[in-house]
Amino acid sequence: MLSIYEQLLRLYPASYRQQFEDEMLSVFHELRSENRIHTRLRRGIFYLREITGVLRGAASERCRVLRGKDVGLFEGGFMMRDGFRFPKTTAVLMTLILAGIVVAIQKGEAIQASLPASNPPIGAIQPHPAMLASIVSFLLIFYAAGSIGWIILLALRKFGVRRVDEASGQK
Amino acid sequence: MFVLTSRLARRNMALRDMSPEDIMEPLPLTEPVLLILLSLAGQAQHGYSILKDVERMSNGRVVMSTGTLYGALRRLLDDRWIERIEERDSPRGRQAYRLTPHGRKNLQAEVNRMKHLTRLAGLRVATKES
Repeated sequence: MLSIYEQLLRLYPASYRQQFEDEMLSVFHELRSENRIHTRLRRGIFYLREITGVLRGAASERCRVLRGKDVGLFEGGFMMRDGFRFPKTTAVLMTLILAGIVVAIQKGEAIQASLPASNPPIGAIQPHPAMLASIVSFLLIFYAAGSIGWIILLALRKFGVRRVDEASGQK
Repeated sequence: MFVLTSRLARRNMALRDMSPEDIMEPLPLTEPVLLILLSLAGQAQHGYSILKDVERMSNGRVVMSTGTLYGALRRLLDDRWIERIEERDSPRGRQAYRLTPHGRKNLQAEVNRMKHLTRLAGLRVATKES
């Protein structure tokens, strides 16, 4: 278990490890020796607590290094923020999706090329009028749903701001 | 803006009756951090002793992992609320920590805040019961 704990400590940034790794190992060693006399269940809880503690701590320290300030990853609640946010992960996901589409097109072309030439050529597909109408109606429905959601969020935010103002005014 | 306003409102409500010199950033403290500071208020301690002391003070309710403890110690060291004591012949795995004057002042401010809150809560509850 000590070796697993040591491996987990590597998830911390190097500067943090340099400062605290020896101490953490020493304390873990002492706690582990103390827990040897306990039941399996208590030992299991102890190991689980230590592993989750290290994972949480490492994630928090990594975020601090990346963002340059302390981030309470698991302490804060949901926060409403002004402004449009475009997470960096979205760009990565969009790139992956684009790559998937390009690969799918290439595979499709390869399959088409491998088919026997005796297949009769198919002419250009004419879109059915009903299909166009359904696409337009789908877009309208999604637009309406998005607008309703946006209005609800806006109303909630205004209500929240008013309550805070009232609370400040009551003082 | 909303987050900032609500935080300020919450903080002002809790601290409005305290003297300006009592109000320091960042308050209120989380329970584990408060217990760590209380543990170091009496004397300098090593990591293991802090963990055991916190468990004892909270009657076994707060049991911290080493990850949580050292995360909190790192923040307290960065904010200079605590400091490491350089001990001769001490192995690297056993470093002692103690409160700085700044940390002690902040701890006192937090205790004052809690006293005020407890007094207020006692009064409100008593009024409601009568």
